[in-house]
Amino acid sequence: MKQHPILSALVNAIKISGVDKNKVCVASDIFYSPQEIEPLGFDFFQTPRGRPIPFGTGLKLGNPELKVVALTGDLSTLGGNHLVHAGRRNMELVTVCINNFVYPLEPGKESAKYMFSTYSNFERPFNIPHLGRSCGAVFVARWTALHTKELSTSVAKALNKPGFSVIEVISPGGNYFPGIDSLDEESNLIKYWYEHSEIKNGEDTMNLEIESGKEIIVGEFIERERPTFIDSYNARLSEIMGDKFVPYGGKSY
Amino acid sequence: MKANPKDVRTGVFYIDGDVAAAEGALAAGCKFLGGYPITPSTEAAEAFARRAPQVGAMFIQMEDELGSIATVMGASLSGQKAMTITSGPGFSLMMETIGFGAMLEIPFVIINIQRSGPSTGLPTRTGQADMMQARWGSHGEYEVITLSPDSPQESFDFTIKAFNLAEKYRAPVMLMSDECVGHMTEKVEIPEADKIDLEPRRLYKGPKDKYIPFKPDKDLVPPMVKAGEGYRLYLSPLSHDQRGHPLLSQKSTTRRIVDKIRLNADDIIETKEDGLDDAEVVVVSYGITSRVAYRAIEQARKSGIKVGIFRLITVWPFPDKRITELAKRVKGFVVPEINYGQIVFEVERCVHGNANVVLVPHGGGWVHNPDDILGAIKQIMKAKKRYEGIFEYKTELEKLIFGSGVQKK
Repeated sequence: MKQHPILSALVNAIKISGVDKNKVCVASDIFYSPQEIEPLGFDFFQTPRGRPIPFGTGLKLGNPELKVVALTGDLSTLGGNHLVHAGRRNMELVTVCINNFVYPLEPGKESAKYMFSTYSNFERPFNIPHLGRSCGAVFVARWTALHTKELSTSVAKALNKPGFSVIEVISPGGNYFPGIDSLDEESNLIKYWYEHSEIKNGEDTMNLEIESGKEIIVGEFIERERPTFIDSYNARLSEIMGDKFVPYGGKSY
Repeated sequence: MKANPKDVRTGVFYIDGDVAAAEGALAAGCKFLGGYPITPSTEAAEAFARRAPQVGAMFIQMEDELGSIATVMGASLSGQKAMTITSGPGFSLMMETIGFGAMLEIPFVIINIQRSGPSTGLPTRTGQADMMQARWGSHGEYEVITLSPDSPQESFDFTIKAFNLAEKYRAPVMLMSDECVGHMTEKVEIPEADKIDLEPRRLYKGPKDKYIPFKPDKDLVPPMVKAGEGYRLYLSPLSHDQRGHPLLSQKSTTRRIVDKIRLNADDIIETKEDGLDDAEVVVVSYGITSRVAYRAIEQARKSGIKVGIFRLITVWPFPDKRITELAKRVKGFVVPEINYGQIVFEVERCVHGNANVVLVPHGGGWVHNPDDILGAIKQIMKAKKRYEGIFEYKTELEKLIFGSGVQKK
C-alpha cells in the first residue's frame, strides 16, 4: 500500500519527540482508512466536517495528559473560526493544516485540479502561517508533503511545546481528482511543489503569501512562549478564589 | 454508584430551573461544560461556571455552538461526563454533531431551555416547538431520549436522570426544558450525596487486545474505553461494522442505534398519571404545559367532568402502548402544547381512531390560558361524533376573529 507522506511524518514525529504513543490522539476531518491508521498506534477520531480543533479541545480538556493532534483541511468554509479561537486561547493542540488549495491558486499552474473549479479558481488562498501567528500560535511552520524529514522534526517540536501550534503542509488533494489537470499524477504535483519551494527559517510571516509563479517559502517561522489555556485558567482562578479553588486536572470519575 | 459528596450542594434552595439544572449536572458528576451563552439558558451556564472551579470541573465558553458541541464529544470520549447548554438557534447549530454523537454512541447531555421560534423568534419567552427537532433534527436515522421537567425541582432531578440514561444507553439525552421552567424560581431540595444514584460509565473490562469498539452487550449497548489508553481506537462516523471499520451497509450500525432505544423503551419511558381510573377525558401534556393543565382539570372536575392527566416525562421514546390502551376506554384526549401541533400527531397515531383528539395550540411567548384547555375538555364531552383527524380547538377570541373551529386534516 502507498505510504501516506503526512501520516508517516506524524509517526516519525511521535517517535522523535519521545511522547507516549498511547497518549497521542489524532482528531481529523479528513478520512483515512483503518488500514492506514491502525498500524500507527495512536487513537484516531474522524470528527464532523470542519471540527477537529474543537473536538481536539474537548479531548485535551477531558484529559489534559493527552497529546492531541488536529488534522484539518486548508481552513476552507467549515471550521476556520475554531483555529482563530484555539490560537487565542493557546489551547494545547498541534494543528496540521493540510493545504490542498481548496482555496486555490496553485503556483505556476492553472489550478484546474479542484472539485468545484474545473476551469481554475481565481480566489486567493490563506496565508496560513501568518493567520496562525496573528491568532497567537506559539509554533508556526510550513512544509510541503515531500519535506517529510523537516515536517517530522517540526511536528515533534510542536508536540513537546506547550501551546497551540500550526503547521501547514502543502499537499495535493489525495487521489480524489486524478487526471483532471495537466499534471496527471499527484506524485508529479507533490514533486513540483517540493522543487518550487525555498527553505527560509524565521522568515517574517508577512512574506509567506503563496503566489502564482513564485517559489513557496517553507520553514519554521515562529517559536515563542505563552501560557497555555489550562495554565492560565488555573493561575487566574487560584488568584481570585484562593483556597476554595480546586485546580482542573481533568480527573474523571 | 453514589454521587460524590464534594459535587453535591446539599440543602434547600430558592433557585430557578436553569440554576437547578446546573446543580443537577454537577451532582451527577459532570465535569465538563462546553457552551456558548444564549438566552434563556445563560443562567444555567453561569451557575455551572460559578460552581465548576469549586469542584474541579471545567467550563469553557466556546466560539460558537458548533464548537461547543464538538468539545463535548471530545471530552466525553476522554472519559468525562460532559454536557452543553443551549436554546433555540444554538440547538439548531448543534444538529450535525448530535447525529455524529449518536453514530459513535457517545454519551452526552444537552440542556435545551426552549424559547419561541422560528429563527430569533421571541428569545426571552417560552416555547415547546423544538420537540420534533430534538428527535429528527440531524440527518439520518437515530433515536434520542428527552426529558421534560415542569419545575426547578424536576430540572435538578431530571438532569441527574439524563446523565444516568446517557451513560446507560450511550445515546444523546436532552433535557427539553423551556423558558418558563428555566426562569421560574421555586424551592429546590438537593438531597445528600448518598441518596443520589449514578450510573457509572460502561467501561470495557476485558483484555486490551480483545476490545471491539462496537460489540454490543445483551442490551444492545457496547462498552466503552477512554481515549489515550492504548486501545488504538479508530472511530469514524461512517457506517461501520463492530470494529468501527467503514462498511457499505447500514445493517449493523443504524439498526442497533435505533433498536437499543426502541427495544429498551419500557425501561426508559417515564410518565405520570393522575385521575385516570375513572377518566373520560385525558389531558396529555409535558413540561410547563402540564402545570397549566392542572388548573383546567381542577375546574373541570368541579363541574363534574371526569378528567385525568397523562404527563409525558420522557417525550421520546414515546409511550405508545399506554396511550393506545387508554384510547379504548376514554372519550378523547386533549393535547395542549406551546406550538401548533407536534406531539399531538404522536397521540393521534397511538389512538388509532378509537377516541377524539383535540389540540390546544399556542404560538409561544406565554403559557396557555387554563380556560382554553377547559374549553377543549368540554368540546370532547359535547362531541356527538368521532372527528376525522385532529380537532384544533379555537379560543373564544380566535372564534371571534376567524370564525368557528375548523377541522384539521
